[in-house]
Amino acid sequence: MSAKSKPEATGTRGAQIKAIVFQAGPLIALVLLMAYLSFATSNFLTFDNISNVARQSAFVAILAVGQTFVILTGGIDLSVAAIAALAASITAVLLTQPLVLFGIDFGYVPPVVAILIGLLVGVVAGAINGWLISKFKIPDFIATLGTMTAFRGAALLTTDGLPVPSFNAGRQLPETLIWFGGGQIFGVPVSALVALLCAVAGWYVLRYTTLGRAIYAVGGNRAAAHSSGISISRTKIMTYAISGLLAAIAGIILVGRLNSANALMAEGEELRSIASVVIGGTNLFGGEGGVWGSIIGAAIIGVLGNGLNLLDVSPFWQRIAQGVVIVVVVIFDQWRRRSMTRV
Amino acid sequence: MNQHEILLKLENVEKRFPGVVALKSISLDVRAGEVLVLLGENGAGKSTLMKILAGEQAPTSGDITIGDRKVSALTPTLATELGIGLVHQELSLIPALSVAENIFLGRLPRNAFGKIDWKKARKEAGHALEALGVSIDPAVEVRSLEVAEQQLIEITRVLARGPRILLLDEPTSALSDSERSRLFDVIRRLKQRGHGIIYISHHLSEIPMIADRVTVLRDGVVVDTLPAEKADENTVIGLMVGRRLEEQFPKEVVPLGEPVLKVAELAAGKTLKDLSFSLRRGEILGIYGLMGAGQAEIAGALFGLQPVRSGAIEVEGRPAHFKHSSDAIAAGLGLISRDRRESLVPMQPVGPNLSLSWLAGRSLFSRLDLARERDEGKRYVSDLRIRPASTSQKLFFFSGGNQQKVILARWMSSGARILIFDEPTRGIDVGAKAEVFAVMSRLVSEGASILMISSELNELIGMTDRVLVMRGGRVSAELPREDVSQQNLLHYAS
Repeated sequence: MSAKSKPEATGTRGAQIKAIVFQAGPLIALVLLMAYLSFATSNFLTFDNISNVARQSAFVAILAVGQTFVILTGGIDLSVAAIAALAASITAVLLTQPLVLFGIDFGYVPPVVAILIGLLVGVVAGAINGWLISKFKIPDFIATLGTMTAFRGAALLTTDGLPVPSFNAGRQLPETLIWFGGGQIFGVPVSALVALLCAVAGWYVLRYTTLGRAIYAVGGNRAAAHSSGISISRTKIMTYAISGLLAAIAGIILVGRLNSANALMAEGEELRSIASVVIGGTNLFGGEGGVWGSIIGAAIIGVLGNGLNLLDVSPFWQRIAQGVVIVVVVIFDQWRRRSMTRV
Repeated sequence: MNQHEILLKLENVEKRFPGVVALKSISLDVRAGEVLVLLGENGAGKSTLMKILAGEQAPTSGDITIGDRKVSALTPTLATELGIGLVHQELSLIPALSVAENIFLGRLPRNAFGKIDWKKARKEAGHALEALGVSIDPAVEVRSLEVAEQQLIEITRVLARGPRILLLDEPTSALSDSERSRLFDVIRRLKQRGHGIIYISHHLSEIPMIADRVTVLRDGVVVDTLPAEKADENTVIGLMVGRRLEEQFPKEVVPLGEPVLKVAELAAGKTLKDLSFSLRRGEILGIYGLMGAGQAEIAGALFGLQPVRSGAIEVEGRPAHFKHSSDAIAAGLGLISRDRRESLVPMQPVGPNLSLSWLAGRSLFSRLDLARERDEGKRYVSDLRIRPASTSQKLFFFSGGNQQKVILARWMSSGARILIFDEPTRGIDVGAKAEVFAVMSRLVSEGASILMISSELNELIGMTDRVLVMRGGRVSAELPREDVSQQNLLHYAS
């Protein structure tokens, strides 16, 4: 419906209340799901189980924060899991093996440096995505589909296709890294705290910085952003770089949790990160949504998987259930959007 | 064949949209072997009438008689069945297909085995083209043809369905003079064969060339229908413009200052070939042109949104090379674009839409000034009487006029001193128009300068200090305020 034929006084209090209820939709769904599982199973609502779910969901949640940025600009990043694996592989190799470049042995690099290099790899990989998309004007989907494969290849080259640390040579991973991935503070998983921290940072950037506003503008109306003096390409490159950075953080955390890295780790997790964002209410076409929804989306996916396990549902059915949830949520989301813009 | 047979008759046709009456009791007829030229300003209802005749929209009430069949509404299929063919203003051909494929799109002849009979298709297409006196190879791809040739293919395609009544919606807007006379030859041939033709045009000079009768629409009403001999330009313009409700043009006489924007021999895009002007402080300089005259490319070229082919731009004495809109904004320019949808972020409220242009040229890592955004949002909502008076409501829910006010506020708040208003009142109601004009007057009295690109004669007459008339991508006349009249504008434009 065109904007001009609309009466002026619509979308007032009633619509605002509706908007709040709709915005809280994912949270309500999570609470209902948890309430159901608390009654249906004896061991869902235990501290250990919840903390376990949080630890397991942290990886996808961190990816989802970056994915939220990308989707808000109207893009999609299929390469996040590959970037995570690449950054994780490089960091793990640097932590466990001496650095040899062009036949020169540089010895072991300090662990902090190894991790910083891993994070830098994520940023650069993401920036490459953004650059390809804005420089050559190719669809985000295609660009990141290509780099997804290429980054996996780079990870395989890094690890020689073997798990890191290898069983017969080099060091073990540092304890601190394992603490980040699997440790806890007063029973709260450290990885979940890292995810929370990433979400807070993401929320801040989206709400209070020029970049955040540019992201919403580019996704909300590219032409308007362009004619208002916003650089679409800079915004895109920065957004994908952030997504790459968060993917690297997630990858390094995952190395700590698994106490190992390999080039093919986390395959398919990019789809979960996208699902988290969509379940969380961010518009897949950009311009609307935010980080907290995606965190809740990641939690819903995590709790659902855990609950189905506890209910002793076969893993085959679990996949079907997760697929159904994603589709149902998107149907609901479409309906919600239509009803909100209807006058 | 009876040359005076009535092919199409409309009786008291009305079309209402929510809150707007687009057409009021329209009655007209089209006879065999005549060209009825339909005239009217933008928004007079011509397009709505065409859509009703093509079956794309149903009238709210009234009767349509085609031949001996009386209906209350048409569908596209029924319109085709009853012999109405519409040639769209925008070409709807498929560039990658051949001429023959386009002419018979969806109904290519087939042989006994159900396979497409290419030979037959080419032959029939060739005949159809020949019948119009057009010599184009049916086998070539449409994209290799000139626009005028494409236009002729489009007409051939519509005629291939055998309509008695042909609707032509501004068919010459993209054509050169020689191409136009070729088209007119075709139209004359169709007349001789007993077709009835409704021809929409903005070019009054075409009336004596092609028209048998002229019908003038204004504000959704048929003002008059007269024979072509009596339809001289002055009469027709008088009918088109009429004595309408006094639209308020709160024009303020502002003393003009030094030149702030100088443009020399600017060329851009496909249609803008040569534009030179100098805009002075406090001035409202109008630019008028018919469709395709080049005025549509000016805003984009000046604002760094589309590459400039040649020419020089100078802002306040300094040469300007805008590679991006942020350069233009930094130089103090602001753009109210022709299409509001290209300016707004509909799912955001007033504040972020207002402050969008403040972000230009700032580091992506800088912090937003949310306090200023809130304050200015409130200020402009009350100052420009933006309704609903809400800073939290998404702009999607605002009317066109109020959306336009938010865009005005954007440039007022960013301190732009040279404003390009490109069709500033398109799609907004009369009340909001007056408010937009009031803002324009206020801006120039505060020392801003305005370039007003418009196709609305009245608002150019009411608001500008000077008008440049464009034709064929170049300036054909420069009219000082006292000479800005409908007659002059239309005369120099066509």
